[in-house]
Amino acid sequence: MIVLGLEGTAWNLSASLVSDDEVLFEANSAYIPTSGGIHPREAAQHFASNVIGVIGEVLSSTDPRSIEGIAFSQGPGFGPCLRIVGTAARALALKLGVPLVGVNHCIAHIEVERWKTDLLDPMVLYVSGANSQVLSYRQKRYRILGETLDIGIGNCLDKFARSAGLRHPGGPKVERLAQESERYLPMPYVVKGMDFSFSGIATAAQEAMKSASLEDICYSFQETAFSMLVEVCERALSQTDKSDLLLAGGVGANKRLQEMLAIMCSERGARFFAPKTEYLQDNGAMIAYTGLLMLSNGVHTPITDSGANPNFRPDEVEVLWIKG
Amino acid sequence: MDQGIIEVVTGAEAAVYIQTHSVIKKRVPKKYRTAELDIKLRKERTKLEAKIQSDARKAGVPTPIIREVNGFDITMERVEGQPVSLVINETIAEQIGEVLCTLHSAGIAHGDPTTRNMIVSNTRIYLIDFGLASYDRSLEARGVDVHVFFQSLEALHENYRALKKAFLAGYGKKCQDVEQVISKVEEIKGRGRYL
Repeated sequence: MIVLGLEGTAWNLSASLVSDDEVLFEANSAYIPTSGGIHPREAAQHFASNVIGVIGEVLSSTDPRSIEGIAFSQGPGFGPCLRIVGTAARALALKLGVPLVGVNHCIAHIEVERWKTDLLDPMVLYVSGANSQVLSYRQKRYRILGETLDIGIGNCLDKFARSAGLRHPGGPKVERLAQESERYLPMPYVVKGMDFSFSGIATAAQEAMKSASLEDICYSFQETAFSMLVEVCERALSQTDKSDLLLAGGVGANKRLQEMLAIMCSERGARFFAPKTEYLQDNGAMIAYTGLLMLSNGVHTPITDSGANPNFRPDEVEVLWIKG
Repeated sequence: MDQGIIEVVTGAEAAVYIQTHSVIKKRVPKKYRTAELDIKLRKERTKLEAKIQSDARKAGVPTPIIREVNGFDITMERVEGQPVSLVINETIAEQIGEVLCTLHSAGIAHGDPTTRNMIVSNTRIYLIDFGLASYDRSLEARGVDVHVFFQSLEALHENYRALKKAFLAGYGKKCQDVEQVISKVEEIKGRGRYL
């Protein structure tokens, strides 16, 4: 089967063509804010101006009649962005006369990794701007075992970075500054059972700006926030007896987070998988491939149910492509 | 000091050494996190766990007597008996309901009240492992406790329906708001996230 997928939940507009076995083509157009963070309306305007271009590139890479389905990111994400890709996907499906399928962005991050590795049933840490969740598959759903009680880790990093005068995206800049320090300043460490909270760290980090160096704050920020994530992952592995941990989402590109997860896994004899950056970041291939799995299992989304779902939770999706 | 270690049980954050008369729970260092944070967390949690366990006992919930708290280690009484998971019946389930209601009435949520974390000793039900416990009176925390207990019943015991019923009868003896707890459990179950 060949499926065209459209990703557009936040900053990256991406169209991709995949077959059962490989990514055939991908075209991207990233929105880069001129100042401040991602502005949903500006991002959506960028998407609207470029969506015809990226789809055109994909269509000219193939015979459009070979396309058997259109997949799109239905959520979670910014409403204005989701509506642009949703509209484009509907138009395309109607024009080509092929089924449409709305994909959960978070599940797509997981499925593209399962496709590219030998992971059958991993514990997943999904960390991006808006999302921070620990998930695993059980009985036809990806269950959320733990998640942030307030803001996503990426959002928390970006907020702090902006207040420190660092340009978007703040995460990589915080990571670089953190490498210059080993002085740990205590910050709020909040783990409640399997859930965690980041808003206290953002406030504490801004407060610390008055008295500590930016390097020390970045270091302490990362150490505290990432330790919380690693602890919950370890607890989740321990409770479920799963032996693989998969990292997904843009914040997963952080090398210190990868290192900490790798240490935790090696100490308990688990395997750790950090994907290539191209799949950690938002991409059309993951949407196309997950759409392909859904279509292959008889799932499609009627036009009337294809509206944007900004708060789309992964456990709302019945997972029919995993047997057992 | 005690003679010989009978068994070592390791969890996500601690190793538990079971000896003839005592049990030592040691919070082990985690190499992934920076030493300052590691030491701080292990100290704070060890102290908190010991305090909650003693407070539970004071409130009338059978828990092992804490003998010593030293750095990252808690030494406590070894309660001899059988894990509830092996011997549970309706009478025991009802007793567990009473014990959990007493704990919740004292403003404590256990956090992980599975049948493996309960011991039957001389007809009394002991709660052990307060590693995830918190001072929390909320309906949510109580609901999670009951849900976690139910999940452990469903996973291990054929006649879990009767056991749940007996548990709720016990819980409802003194906890008048048992109906609210039950609807909370239903809501939590719907989220499908706890194991």
